[in-house]
Amino acid sequence: MPLIEVKNLSKTYNTTAVPVQAVKNVNLQIEKQEFTAIVGPSGSGKTTLLNLIGGLDKPTNGSVFIEGKDISTLKSNALTEFRLHHIGFVFQAYNLIPVFTAKENVEFIMLLQGIPKAKREKRAIELLNAVGLSDRMYSRPSQLSGGQQQRVAVARALASHPNFVLADEPTANLDSRTAESLLDLMDQLNKDYSMTFIFSTHDPKVIKRARRIITLEDGAIKSDITVAN
Amino acid sequence: MLASLAWKNVWRNKKRSLIMILAIALGLWGSLLAGAIWMGWGESMVNTAIDRDLSHIQIHNQKYLQNKEITNFIPDGFRVLKETISVPGVKTASGRTLIEGMAASPISTFGVKIVGILPIEEKKVTNIHTRLIEGKYFESNDRNPIIIGKKLADRLNLKLRSKIIISFQGLDGSLIYAAFRIVGIYKTESALFDQSNVFVQQANLFRLLNTEPIIHEIAIRLQSSRLMPQIYNEVKTKYPNLSVQTWKEIAPEIAVTSAAMESFTYLFLSIILLALLFGITNTMLMSVMERIRELGVLIAVGMKRIKVFTTILLETIMLSLTGAAGGFAIGGITIAYFSYTGIDFSAFASTMESFGASPTLYPFLPMSMYIALPLMIVITASLSAALPAWKAVHIEPATAVRIY
Repeated sequence: MPLIEVKNLSKTYNTTAVPVQAVKNVNLQIEKQEFTAIVGPSGSGKTTLLNLIGGLDKPTNGSVFIEGKDISTLKSNALTEFRLHHIGFVFQAYNLIPVFTAKENVEFIMLLQGIPKAKREKRAIELLNAVGLSDRMYSRPSQLSGGQQQRVAVARALASHPNFVLADEPTANLDSRTAESLLDLMDQLNKDYSMTFIFSTHDPKVIKRARRIITLEDGAIKSDITVAN
Repeated sequence: MLASLAWKNVWRNKKRSLIMILAIALGLWGSLLAGAIWMGWGESMVNTAIDRDLSHIQIHNQKYLQNKEITNFIPDGFRVLKETISVPGVKTASGRTLIEGMAASPISTFGVKIVGILPIEEKKVTNIHTRLIEGKYFESNDRNPIIIGKKLADRLNLKLRSKIIISFQGLDGSLIYAAFRIVGIYKTESALFDQSNVFVQQANLFRLLNTEPIIHEIAIRLQSSRLMPQIYNEVKTKYPNLSVQTWKEIAPEIAVTSAAMESFTYLFLSIILLALLFGITNTMLMSVMERIRELGVLIAVGMKRIKVFTTILLETIMLSLTGAAGGFAIGGITIAYFSYTGIDFSAFASTMESFGASPTLYPFLPMSMYIALPLMIVITASLSAALPAWKAVHIEPATAVRIY
């Protein structure tokens, strides 16, 4: 059973006078431990597809199965609960809680999961060590660089033991050196922890590292290439 | 951690939160002080009336209440008086002989209630002796001494040591005229009382009436007003044929006004809190609108909407209670200070007197209000949080993360 299976997925926005079909009849499967990039120009539907896979948006047609479970039929609360336990998110603008320290940001997801304080503290420290921020645990996001904030975001995404991590343009706000360093980290986590990463990106650095590249054009899959190691 | 997040969010925009906290604190301070003054006013009206003439409980012949005739005295009144004084919880009691009559001077006449008292005993029950502005409280050796109110003295154009003619009906229906010498002029908070009550010694009245000692009223002072219901029941049970009344029954208008002061205080507080409700809602709404992306991310990563709602609610309650604590502190200190020194309203003395209150008020708030008020604030905060929290839980994470 594939980790993710997308069947006949479409999404149409009716917010404007003319309906916009952002995703058109997409079919794809993603297996565990993949390091996949969804690429394409702006407006090609990358983020919409990522949002549909992540359960942040509801499809107009079609289904998304995560380990065989159709999440497109779940109600809002059930979907939130599902995201909490199965999906990790990394956003372009980091989106950390500004009033919390790095450690508290990582812990917060585990708090929502109901994990006891001692256990979540231990895991938060481990994860921050793993992303190379052992010396910045008690810094607030405003005291961290963009790259450091994105590392905290990665640690937060991993904190809930997700089945996979969705990263929407994770390197878009980073300089190339920081972006490379972040990609090294994700690559390492992919290999060390068998963590599945799915990126939406048009950053060549990410595309170069990806082992599978799905190209979207006008909401439809134009190509799906698996890169040999 | 949710509480920690909420508390930290309160201080995210320090200036805005401080302005709101200050507004809540000042609003509460003002309403607490105004409420305490009203309560002090009500209390002053009650205490003044109790100290002046009402006392806590009064006993009469049942017929006297319907017809204030001299013949409707308390049968064996002095025995009842003696027994009443021995009831546990009773501090003291005074027997009064009451006669409706006329006071006349060379220029005018006026209807008065002649109150025959035993000065030593009456001094323990009421405080007329402390309200003398001229003369002494039955300390001279005059034949028929009398103490009258300032208002009556002015109406009849009488002064200290003037003669006043008192006329009243005797027990046999005959009219009795007697000349009295004014040995004291008193002034209380009630001009109405001052113009219609004159005090004479019981012995003189009994001589003029040519009767054995009789009393129409027993005024009882208790060790504590809290004992009133218990002693009232005891005395009422003991003398089923007599009328036993608390001051609340004798002067219901004072009881109602005093109770109304508490209601006014709650009403005033409610209006202030209602005004604050809109301010708090506005502040919290701004706070939520500034954080739509962040709240969207929280929902995206798995925070249930009910927890988002709880966080906004907690923030609002924390903000409001911080302001309330400030309001309580400065309000409490101000009330404590003025309850010790009193607030001098002598510039409005005539208005105060027309309400039967002392020109110096001692503000206070009952303990029940210190308990009710935090609850009222929590309710206000919860209502204030409703709109911002509703807004927060309806955030669509995909839109919030991308657009805001």
